[in-house]
Amino acid sequence: MTDTKSRNLFILLCLAPALIMFVLFMVIPTAEIFRMSLYQWGGLSGSQHFIGLDNFRSLWNDMNFIRSVQNSILLIVVVALITIVFALFIASVLVREDTRGSTFFRIVFYIPNILSIVVIAGIFSAIYSPSTGLLNSFLDLLQLEGLQRRWLGNETIVIYSVAAALIWQATGYYMVMYLSSIASIPSSYYEAASLEGISRFKEFTSITLPLIWSTIRTTLTFYIISTVNLSFLLVTAMTGGGPNRSSEVFLSYMYNQAYGNSSYGYGMAIAVVVFIFLFSISAIVSSITKRDVLEY
Amino acid sequence: MIKASVLFSMSTVLLAVGLVACGNDEATTGSEESTTFHVAALESGYGSEMWEDVIEAYGAANEDVTVKLTTESNLEEVIRPSMQAGDYPDVVLLAMNREEALTETLVRENGLENITEVLNRNVYGEEQSVEDKLIDGFTETFATNPYADGETYLAPMFYSPTGLFYNVGLLEEKGWDVPETWDEMWELGDKAQEEGIWLFTYATASYFDTLLGSMLYASGGTDFYNSVMMYEEGVWEKTEAKQVLETIQQLADYTHPDTVANANPNDFRRNQQLILNNEALFMPNGTWVEGEMEDAPREDNFEWGMMPVPSFGEGEDRYAFSFFEQIWVPSAAENKDTAKEFITYMYSEEAASIFLDHGAVQPIEGITDELEGARQVYYGVYDDENVLPAMGTFVSTEPVPGVSMSETLYGSIDSIMNDTMTVEQWQNKIQEANDQLKQAVE
Repeated sequence: MTDTKSRNLFILLCLAPALIMFVLFMVIPTAEIFRMSLYQWGGLSGSQHFIGLDNFRSLWNDMNFIRSVQNSILLIVVVALITIVFALFIASVLVREDTRGSTFFRIVFYIPNILSIVVIAGIFSAIYSPSTGLLNSFLDLLQLEGLQRRWLGNETIVIYSVAAALIWQATGYYMVMYLSSIASIPSSYYEAASLEGISRFKEFTSITLPLIWSTIRTTLTFYIISTVNLSFLLVTAMTGGGPNRSSEVFLSYMYNQAYGNSSYGYGMAIAVVVFIFLFSISAIVSSITKRDVLEY
Repeated sequence: MIKASVLFSMSTVLLAVGLVACGNDEATTGSEESTTFHVAALESGYGSEMWEDVIEAYGAANEDVTVKLTTESNLEEVIRPSMQAGDYPDVVLLAMNREEALTETLVRENGLENITEVLNRNVYGEEQSVEDKLIDGFTETFATNPYADGETYLAPMFYSPTGLFYNVGLLEEKGWDVPETWDEMWELGDKAQEEGIWLFTYATASYFDTLLGSMLYASGGTDFYNSVMMYEEGVWEKTEAKQVLETIQQLADYTHPDTVANANPNDFRRNQQLILNNEALFMPNGTWVEGEMEDAPREDNFEWGMMPVPSFGEGEDRYAFSFFEQIWVPSAAENKDTAKEFITYMYSEEAASIFLDHGAVQPIEGITDELEGARQVYYGVYDDENVLPAMGTFVSTEPVPGVSMSETLYGSIDSIMNDTMTVEQWQNKIQEANDQLKQAVE
């Protein structure tokens, strides 16, 4: 056997365990989800009825599913936009400004990210409590009683209350990613800008933003996937999808249908739509944010 | 090449170890001659010790049977994966109307064993049949005979009367009578509101299942209730149904304003706390609420009380819905005969006494005579001649994707309370769901 052949065989053998695991635990289950979405099945018995695309046709007319899609998209957009602004602002200030106690602030901002989502649900339930909650009490203190709301009881507001908790949880994580990117930009660029006398805002848009663009692009995909996953956990723990399904999101509705309504096949059809949606939106975002990579 | 072979061998071994680690590591017990059968029971407010005691007592009388017991508060999540892999428990204690709906899924998939003949068997070690020991009516609802064909697939186990819970001390202190009709409720609501107390609150909208059930009985009687449970065509357009829906809407004016904001899995106890703080007068609940709020702070004059749901007219029957848990045998179980015999043992004096010691009451004739204290008061709610028990649930249907009667009927109540949905919109939604499910009745 030649050296090249034995080397290729060696590489193949090294890769084999990971590949087998990947096929067993990722490829096959994903293919199974696509297969099961074509069946009417409760999830337990052996009686599966092939119904073609009927589950997808039902989805099209299911207003509760449509509402969960609207809520999920709203959360993705609101959480991504606000978190990116907060995280970039905090990261820039902590790196570029001579902030006293910056290490302390880094820790404080990162702490929410290491908390369990159930703990976050508990914290925000206490904040949003109508009569004893921090938020309404604070508004009362500022004599802004007119702004007081029942944050988890109002069907229009509840999804924004969920968004606020997600933003609070996510800011620290993305801040750390942006911190490391901004810190690696050579300080000479900023010194030159300073000599030119440009403003902090112009410095941010002309130097910082273009040089960390590839990091921002990567995090945009993270925002999409993590918002879909975490919103399911938070909604399940904090609102139960209520009041009257007004805070239902993609995955909570999928779970509700697959188990609570004994429609496992239908739940898998929702999973397929979510899968395709996430893939498509990530590809679109990646494509429209593509820029030439600036090197330094 | 030797290196490659060694690495390949190592990776194969690692992969095999990994796969073996993912396998089922449950140990089986018992000798070759003995039968090992698996009991899975929900660990509810009664605790798991109750089941351990019962299994020990059953094991002492059946040395050739080894029982494997699984008790978990999230039982569905524990047994569902095994069931999907084909490993079914032999007996399961798990009620209907739970969020994960495992029992309903098996009913819908014809996955339960017909246990009608068990009712005619003698109770284990006794001369009386199971049917003779059970209180009348408990094996005649869709909660035990889900296909409306007279055949029993689920046996009734622990029952609990439900009604409107309140603070007896507050009503006594204020000199207010317990209302018997809805008109008296509204009068009391006006009086209470003058003192800054709201008439009503609820833990979550799903707690309306028993309240609405009692109201449907009170509005149209047993036949009307059954026609609702059978998804009869146009049933929600009848005046009896509209009377119930409009009463709920009127109740919204008397409901504590924080209720909907707290009516979620995280905060529902805050609504229950409103009763203990004398901020609201009544809430729909079951006898378990006393244990659930055992450690909660309360007003000095607090004493739990429960009343049946008010009637629509003076002197008419009032109802208190009996919620009960069910025990059943999956048709895929391995030891069905042993499981059926085990079910008869559940109604023996020995088992009933153990259950009772832990606070669980079974629908056995004469068992309420053994109750003491507050439990005697709750279970004695039917002693009043105008108070009748209400029982049952919706008949089983094929699953209809995206359509759930309980979500439509009870979930919408939050919107009624928020005044974001009218009674007509609610009625139309229910009727629409009713029509879709009617076509799916098995």
